[in-house]
Amino acid sequence: MLVKKALVIWFLVVAVFLFAAKYGGTLRFLFGVDATTLLGPNIPDSISNIVASHILEGLIDVDENLKIIPCLAERWEVKENGTAYVFYLRKGVKFHDGEDFNAYAVKTHFDYVLNSSLRNVGMFKGILKEVLVLDQYTVEFRLFQPYTPILYRLATSSAAWILSPKSIEKYGNDPALFGRNPVGTGPFIFKEWKVGERIELVRNPNYWQNGLPYLDGIVFSVVSEDVSRVNQVRAGDADIMYNPPPALLPALEQDPRLQLKTIPTVRVIYIGLNSRQAPLNDLRVRQALNYAVDKEKLCKVIMRDMARPSDSPLSSITYGYVPTGGYPYDPQKARQLLKEAGYSNLKLELITPKGRYLNDYETAIALQGMLKEVGVTVDVKPMEWGTYVGKILSSKPEDWDYQMFLLGWAPGTAEGHWVLFPLFHSINQMGNPQGTARYNNFFYSNPKVDELIDKIGSELDEKKLMEYYAQAQKIILNDAPWIFLYEMKIATVMRKEIKDLKIYPIERFNMTYAWIDR
Amino acid sequence: MTKFIARRLLLLIPVILGVSIISFSIMHMIPGDPARIIAGEGATKQDIEAIRSKYGLDRPLIEQYFRFMKGILTNDLRSIKTERPILKEISPRFLNTVQLAVVSIFISSIIGISLGIASAVRRNTWLDSFAMFFSLIGVSMPIFWLGILLIIIFSVFLGWLPSGGKGGVEHIILPAVTLGLATSAIIARMTRASMLEVLNQDYVRTAKAFGLAKRKVVYKYVLRNALIPIITVIGLQFGYLLGGAVLTESVFGWPGLGRYVVDSIFNRDYIAVQVGIMIIAMSFVLVNLLVDIFYALIDPRLRRG
Repeated sequence: MLVKKALVIWFLVVAVFLFAAKYGGTLRFLFGVDATTLLGPNIPDSISNIVASHILEGLIDVDENLKIIPCLAERWEVKENGTAYVFYLRKGVKFHDGEDFNAYAVKTHFDYVLNSSLRNVGMFKGILKEVLVLDQYTVEFRLFQPYTPILYRLATSSAAWILSPKSIEKYGNDPALFGRNPVGTGPFIFKEWKVGERIELVRNPNYWQNGLPYLDGIVFSVVSEDVSRVNQVRAGDADIMYNPPPALLPALEQDPRLQLKTIPTVRVIYIGLNSRQAPLNDLRVRQALNYAVDKEKLCKVIMRDMARPSDSPLSSITYGYVPTGGYPYDPQKARQLLKEAGYSNLKLELITPKGRYLNDYETAIALQGMLKEVGVTVDVKPMEWGTYVGKILSSKPEDWDYQMFLLGWAPGTAEGHWVLFPLFHSINQMGNPQGTARYNNFFYSNPKVDELIDKIGSELDEKKLMEYYAQAQKIILNDAPWIFLYEMKIATVMRKEIKDLKIYPIERFNMTYAWIDR
Repeated sequence: MTKFIARRLLLLIPVILGVSIISFSIMHMIPGDPARIIAGEGATKQDIEAIRSKYGLDRPLIEQYFRFMKGILTNDLRSIKTERPILKEISPRFLNTVQLAVVSIFISSIIGISLGIASAVRRNTWLDSFAMFFSLIGVSMPIFWLGILLIIIFSVFLGWLPSGGKGGVEHIILPAVTLGLATSAIIARMTRASMLEVLNQDYVRTAKAFGLAKRKVVYKYVLRNALIPIITVIGLQFGYLLGGAVLTESVFGWPGLGRYVVDSIFNRDYIAVQVGIMIIAMSFVLVNLLVDIFYALIDPRLRRG
């Protein structure tokens, strides 16, 4: 009996020893370009975001399934019909510079953000009126009017990551300098940034989540060539990179030293159909184009399973997504619709970026072939990204003569309002002076959808909210302002010994729980 | 000599002015709005307009040019992307580029000149064929491909050398060799041609007839006289390398100036591109000046001119 007991205990000890997370080691992460700035409210790109998210933290956060979770606030309440949010803060948290985290720090941060002209303060300006200190560990966010996506914005936007009040005082007037001196409460502390080369973070020994993080530090390095990034991970000179060239995927999958992880993202890729002029102002033509595209085939053959067909402007993991059924592949129906509309031998131009998204140009070429099958001749014109964006997001009416364009949209906020409002609300049509986020460059307009989007922005009851979401997506699908193509996946290549590294569908990587099994 | 150098340095001013005007015009002629690109996907109207007015991108072009030139003189320019003083962004990258250029020009000169001499002296032997075959491959092999090949052999399979990044001496070996091999091929061909021409001169035959040691003839009389075109080529190649070897930098993750300028073009970071190009142009002119000074040192006949 005793022997048996001893054996069990021994076994448990061994198991704990074998499977428990190990401390120590530095994780080496590779990017294609250097980060821009580590000042949260000024970050314009996902790479800076990945780095800064390990130094700075917000009141709330999202987990890897995009569910909102507590972070520096332990809980929160919605009050006064959604115009006030009260947050109860975690006690005993310290910034990296030794300052206390409390209600005053939160207020100082948001006062700084709202009074600045930094790059992404638009997420809160005009929505958030002010932050009030109720007591040392309670704050109230007052809004101009009810705006339910505010929680997702607070959970995902880097502008909401609380900066140490002392650092704001010291660097607040010089965003460039502040971007190199980020001070937050996060699991890692900023150590060094060698321009164009690498950024080093070290473990925060006083992190409020006891025992975390496991790593001694993280080094983010820049290697612009994707094949070289893969080779560095294969050679063991680095631990992780993402977006490997798809042609290498089969080989990477078989490499015993590596693990390849593929997860869906919030990014959808679509063909915008400019409905300002004929023939794309005809609903039948737009629907015909949707029926003519074999999305399954695109995902399998062109995208090598790095995408899956989409049936909504929202990716299936974006909050608010409701399946609509989409457009099945039906060339017969496409031909019939075109005939009804009175078009035979239709000629259209498709402009596309080349290399901005995975196999974007290849997708455009495949579409050209598919549309040829139903009698539509497509002229594909690839453009360099900067020129392309200048064209399709131009505020000058003479630029709005494009017909079809390939584009992607990834709501960093992880919720559907930030898809529907900028892209489908008629207030955000290009050139509309009232628009606050003008991305409706295919000139979609449906009063019913406008109304639904407005309701989505303020509805507190989740059941009703989802009902509005469902209706809006159904109507938009039927109006066919896009050719709905696919939602992107993201592939990550890691060394086998890296454990518990979390990958989020909003192109974020969380190394707080990661450890190295060496 | 001093007068000559001073004159050449003064010449820098119109060159730089010209380069600034050309790079400014080209950057502003290509379509694309830096504010749009830098603000990123999902920026609000407010965000974009703030960037535009901050950098005066909404001002007339002439005014923007003068603001730029004023910024150069007062050292008050900032990268549009990172908002940091531009020299802080560019100088570490330029130093990296210089480092890589010096090491690879060193490697390529040694390989190139020795191969060139060997094949000229032993013309039409197997050594000559080998050297010229090598240089043919070196000239025609895409640098990009060679770099990846070297990484796969020496880092992924053998694990002898780091596959990229910056660090100790071992980090510079692969990128410098990659760059050096291509350059050495050009130098070898030039050395061979130049040597052959001198080898056929009467005074060489005379020297041989006087019974001087072959070694002495080759190194003292032939090489020295053949050196001018070789140095020209090396100087030119060095100038090119200082402009940044974009492909090599990309493949090896070498944080140099070339890749930075290319990325900045994609970001429409006007300030970074314009200043980067001016620095590249300046170093090219300076290297040429150095080469000219070198001529004078090697060939006394040119000193008087």
